[in-house]
Amino acid sequence: MTFWDTLLYDLFPLIWSGMITGCLYALGALGLVMIFKCSKVVNFSHGNVAGLTAFLVYGLSSGVLLSLSWGAAVVVSLLCAVAIAFLIYSIISPLVFESDLTSTIATLGFGLIAQGLTLVIFGADIVALDLPIPRFTVSVLGLLVTGYDLTVLAVAVVTIGTLFIVIDYTKLGIAFRAMSENPFAAEVCGLNLKSVHYFAWISAAILGVIGALLIVPTTFLSVTTVATFMLQAFAAAVIGGFASLPGSLVGGILVGILMNLFTFYVSPEYSSTFLLAVILVALNIFPNGILQKVGGSRV
Amino acid sequence: MMQRLRGLGATAAPIWVLTAVLLVLPFTLGGSWTFMLGLCFANSIGVLAVSMLVRYGGEVSIGHTFFTALGAYSVGILDTRYGISLWASVPLALFMGVVFGILFAWPSRNMHGIYLAVTTLALALAVPEIINNLDALTGGYEGLYVATPFVPGIEMELQRYYVALALLLAATFAVARLRLSRQGMAMLLAKTHPAAADAFGARRVWARVAVMGISGGIGAVCGAALAFSGSTVSPGGFTFWQAIFLLVGSVVSFYGLSMPRVLIGGAFVTLVPQLLSASGAWIPVFYGLALLGMILLGHYMPRIQKALAREK
Repeated sequence: MTFWDTLLYDLFPLIWSGMITGCLYALGALGLVMIFKCSKVVNFSHGNVAGLTAFLVYGLSSGVLLSLSWGAAVVVSLLCAVAIAFLIYSIISPLVFESDLTSTIATLGFGLIAQGLTLVIFGADIVALDLPIPRFTVSVLGLLVTGYDLTVLAVAVVTIGTLFIVIDYTKLGIAFRAMSENPFAAEVCGLNLKSVHYFAWISAAILGVIGALLIVPTTFLSVTTVATFMLQAFAAAVIGGFASLPGSLVGGILVGILMNLFTFYVSPEYSSTFLLAVILVALNIFPNGILQKVGGSRV
Repeated sequence: MMQRLRGLGATAAPIWVLTAVLLVLPFTLGGSWTFMLGLCFANSIGVLAVSMLVRYGGEVSIGHTFFTALGAYSVGILDTRYGISLWASVPLALFMGVVFGILFAWPSRNMHGIYLAVTTLALALAVPEIINNLDALTGGYEGLYVATPFVPGIEMELQRYYVALALLLAATFAVARLRLSRQGMAMLLAKTHPAAADAFGARRVWARVAVMGISGGIGAVCGAALAFSGSTVSPGGFTFWQAIFLLVGSVVSFYGLSMPRVLIGGAFVTLVPQLLSASGAWIPVFYGLALLGMILLGHYMPRIQKALAREK
C-alpha cells in the first residue's frame, strides 16, 4: 500500500469516530456553556455529578442498589440528576448574584462531594455499563459504521436539536437569551432571573447525564472516567469561546477529531497534555471562540 | 507610607510571637510531629500561592500542583542526579515557577478569569501524566528520595523542619511587602477597577500575567519545601485532588495572606487526610463540605452580624 492509501485507510475511520465522540463532548460542553452564559458560573461539578448519575444507572440496573430494568434506572437517575442540579443551584444562588468567582469555587465543593459519594457508595472499582443498543456493523464506502455510532449520532442530533428549538422559539428560551445578553435589562423587563437559571442548570444536568451514559460504553466506568471526559468538554467549550452554543458544538467535534488523531499518530499517553496545548493555542488564536463574528466598530 | 509601615508593625506582633513559638517547638515535640509540622509549613506556602492569586488577580487556580511538582522535581532531580542541594535548587524552582506562571497566564491575558481556571484544570490533569512518562528523569511511580542536607552537620530531622519554616516566613514576608509596593497596588487596582487602572496608566495585561507569575513562583517554592521536608517526591503528591485540596485550604483560611492564616490552611490540607486516613472515601466529601461551609459562612456572617447589630 502506498502512503496515501494507508493515510486514507486510517484517516477516515479516525475522523468518523472522532466526530462521534466529539458529539458527546459537545453535549458536555453545551451544559457548561448554558450555565456560564446566564449565570457567569463555571460549573466544575458538572463532570462529577454526571459521573455519579452514570454510577446510579449502573447501581439501579445491576442489582448493587436495586435491580430495575435499564429504562427505569435511567429515568430514576435522570430525576436524581435534576434534583441534584436543583439542590446545587438553590444552595449557591445567593452567591451567584454576588460574585461569580466565589460561586465557581463553590461548584468545586459540590464536585468533591459528588465524587466522594461515588467513592463511598460504589467504591473505586471499575465497572462495565453497557447500553441496550442494536449491535450491527455496516460498511459505508469502506467505513465501518456500528450501531453504537448511529445511536450516539441520533441521540446527539435529537437532544441538541430539541435544545436549540427550545432556546430559539419558546418563551423560556427567549428569556434565556435575553438574560445572557443583558441580565439587568432582562430583570427590568420583569423576567425572573432565578427561574431562568434553574432552567439552565437543569438542562445542563440532563445533557451531562446523556453524554456520560453514551461515553461509558467506549471505556469502562470508574470514578475518574466521566471527570476526564468532562475535561474534553471544557476544552470544547473554550474552543467555542465559552459563551456560544453553536461554537461549543463545533468545538466538541473538533476536539473529538483532534484527540483521535493525536492518540493514533503521536501518543495515547499524553492526551491531557495535548488538551492543555489545544486550550492554550485556541485561547491565543481565537480568544472569543472559533465562530467569533468578524466585527469592527464605527467611530 | 510611614504610617502604613507602622500599622504593619502592629499587626505583625502576633506573627513575631507565633514565629518564636514555632522556632522552639521542635525541642519540645516528638519526631513525628516535627515532621508533620514541616509538611504543614510547606503546604501553607502552596495555600499562600493560591490565595495570592485570588486576592491580587481575582482568579482561581485548580492546577497549582503543576507548580508544586515543578519545584519538587527541581529539588529532587538536582539532589538525586547531581547531588546539588537546596542552595541552587530553590532559586531554580522559583525561577521556573515564575516563567511557567507567565507562560500559562499569557494566552488568557485579555479575557475573563474563567479561562485561566479552565487552563489550570487541564494543567492539573496533565501533571501526573507528564511525571509518569518522563520516568527516566523523574523516577516515575517510585519517585525520588531527597537526602542531601542543606547545612551539613546538622541533624536532618531539624533541617527538614527549619528549612520549611524559613521558606514560609520568607514567602509571607515577600507577599506582605508586595502589598506596600507600587506594583502590588497596581495589581489590586487592575483587579478591582480595571478602567481606573487603565486611566492611571497601570498596564492591565502586565498586572494579570505578573500575578500568575508570582503565584507560580510561590507554588514552586512550596514544592521545593515539600520535597525537602517530606524527603520523597512521587507522583502521588501531585494529583488533581492535591490541586483542589490546596484551593480548599485557601478557602478555609478565607484567602488570608498573613502567616497565621495560611498556616490554618496548610494545617487543614496536611492534617485532615491524616486524621481521616481510616475512612479514605469520606475525605473528598469532608473537603467539599468544608469548602461549601466556609464559603456560605463568608457569605452569611456579615449579614447575621448586621442583623444582630440592628437588634441592639
